[in-house]
Amino acid sequence: MSLASGPGRAAGTLADQKLYAEKHIDYIKKLDSRKDELEYWLTEHLRLNGVYWGLTALHLLGCPDGLPRDNAVDFVLSCQQENGGFGAAPGHDAHLLYTVSAVQILVTLDAVDELEKRGLGGKQKVGSFIAGLQDRESGSFMGDEWGELDTRFLYGALNALSLLGLLHLVDVTKAVSYVQKCENLDGGYGVTPGAESHAGQVFTCVGALAIAGRLDLVDKDRLGGWLSERQLEHGGLNGRPEKLADACYSWWVGASLAMIDKLDWIDGPKLVAYILHCQDPEAGGFADRPDNAVDVFHTHFAVAGLSLLGFEGVEEVDPVYCMPKAITSKVLSA
Amino acid sequence: MTGKYASDPAWASIAPIPLNDGSESGAVPLATIAYSEEYLEATSYLRAVMAANEMSERALGLTEDVISMNPAHYTVWIYRAKILFALNKDLLEELEWLNGVSLKYLKNYQIWHHRQVIMSSREHFPTLPPKEMDFLMEMFAQDSKNYHVWTYRHWLVRHFELWDSPRELADMNSLINSDVRNNSAWNHRYMLRFGPRSNEPDAGMVNAEGKPHEKGRLSVVDEDLVDEELKYAQEQIIRAPENRSPWSYARGVLRAAGRPLSEWTGFSRKLVVDEFDEQGQLSGVSVKSSHAIEWLADVYADAEGHNRDEAVRMLNLLKDKYDPIRRNYWDYRIRAIEAGEVPASA
Repeated sequence: MSLASGPGRAAGTLADQKLYAEKHIDYIKKLDSRKDELEYWLTEHLRLNGVYWGLTALHLLGCPDGLPRDNAVDFVLSCQQENGGFGAAPGHDAHLLYTVSAVQILVTLDAVDELEKRGLGGKQKVGSFIAGLQDRESGSFMGDEWGELDTRFLYGALNALSLLGLLHLVDVTKAVSYVQKCENLDGGYGVTPGAESHAGQVFTCVGALAIAGRLDLVDKDRLGGWLSERQLEHGGLNGRPEKLADACYSWWVGASLAMIDKLDWIDGPKLVAYILHCQDPEAGGFADRPDNAVDVFHTHFAVAGLSLLGFEGVEEVDPVYCMPKAITSKVLSA
Repeated sequence: MTGKYASDPAWASIAPIPLNDGSESGAVPLATIAYSEEYLEATSYLRAVMAANEMSERALGLTEDVISMNPAHYTVWIYRAKILFALNKDLLEELEWLNGVSLKYLKNYQIWHHRQVIMSSREHFPTLPPKEMDFLMEMFAQDSKNYHVWTYRHWLVRHFELWDSPRELADMNSLINSDVRNNSAWNHRYMLRFGPRSNEPDAGMVNAEGKPHEKGRLSVVDEDLVDEELKYAQEQIIRAPENRSPWSYARGVLRAAGRPLSEWTGFSRKLVVDEFDEQGQLSGVSVKSSHAIEWLADVYADAEGHNRDEAVRMLNLLKDKYDPIRRNYWDYRIRAIEAGEVPASA
């Protein structure tokens, strides 16, 4: 899965309200044939994330078999390290972010049992790797042995563990308490306690609380007010006050609003128009904003954003997990 | 292989470990990665020295080479930090080198965690090195809202207990002065003035796990400081009345002090002026700030405000004219007031 940007540009026009689903499917499927580009190896540290983004977008676009299943499973397993975690690509050190993508991909492909058959130590070993990254004092999570803290890691840990049915391996109460410390007076959340509110971090904090069953701790009116204020005149959303809009915030902001039942506080049709304006109707793919180069990251989050807004022809997405709702419903009720 | 490492006698003792991407099995086309020769060679030597846990000058140089080609390679940073400490290198020199890399790769975040790991060493840095804040201001000159730099600066404040350092406030004044819409600088200012100190857990506000209306409330209040900061916020609002940041800041200041929003009724009223015709009938309203309208709505809707009609009138101004994109939000607020509930965002 290449994370190289382009070649297309988001040349959509505002008047064009059509989703070029077939073009986007082709765009994602062809990403893997772009290994001769410099950008391909420079983005190696994101490879496993890239497979998750591409695969999920294909599912939401109604093309669940768009990537060869066996190849995808083989690739995921080839990224696993001795400690049970997964690296971004084969030979890379294990890191929480890639381990989460690995779990999400395996769950989406209904291939978690492959961990028992061919993985290193089964899903229990994966769970132990994740649990080992929790700081038992503060409840927060590191990304790897390096010790960097980020509410993204905390969310990712709860996401993957709950999908594997292994949430009991960590101290959820302490994790919840840590998330509370990341709340700011404006109702938003930051990357660490005291850091500025940021829509991406809001998503991770609210998502973590949703998985922990503690959405009651969110000041929904205040947070909803802050999130809805992210919508700009042209309909697009930004991540912080006085910043530019970006199609990916359709997801971070939109999913957060959906989790606290306030999605109607933004103007849905205007946001749809903005997202569609970010697509390349010729070569497929979405960019961060109109006229910029497309890439798989923005393609995934733009499609997921359209799904949140109930766009016709896009499969329903789970706002907590950012995976097809049909899949998470099945796995989490099992 | 015939690259610069293979032909360098200093590396003759190392057998490079090529990337095993599983492609030999023929089963994983997704994983086959096209590398540039130079990078491929450097990382193959990196794998070899990392596998041997070699702590040496040549390994340190190699990490620099790999980072210069791809600073997002997260593994190489951990290894580099270990070598620096093992060889007891001059860490000020490391910071100098990092400065250059940081200015070159503005979006990279591994750099900032590495800097924090280095700076965490109390043995090497019992106090803040004198040039550190100068460099951060150099970074802010490139991107004054760089999230990683701000997060690092917040960590520095806690680590070296810099809340009352004159440099901190001076830098915030300078940044807000050059861009009054810099929300990051406003957030940092709030942490300096009203955030939790070293005797409290780090959090976005004091009493972070308290009841909703008590979050952010200080137990001891310096009223002079509060007055000073409220005055500062008003001055900045006059510069750009539609700028959200100082309005949020003022709400936080009042919350910290346990003082009511109604203190600013007069100030907000100057930005939302009712107009009357010759008969003395209300004919319109002159609005300089939508945030002032919202502020007034909160004041009037408050239990002590006793003016729900006026609160609803304010919210309707926002819904119909000054912030119609959020009409559903304003509708929600109006319904809450009409149902007699306490305002949502006081």
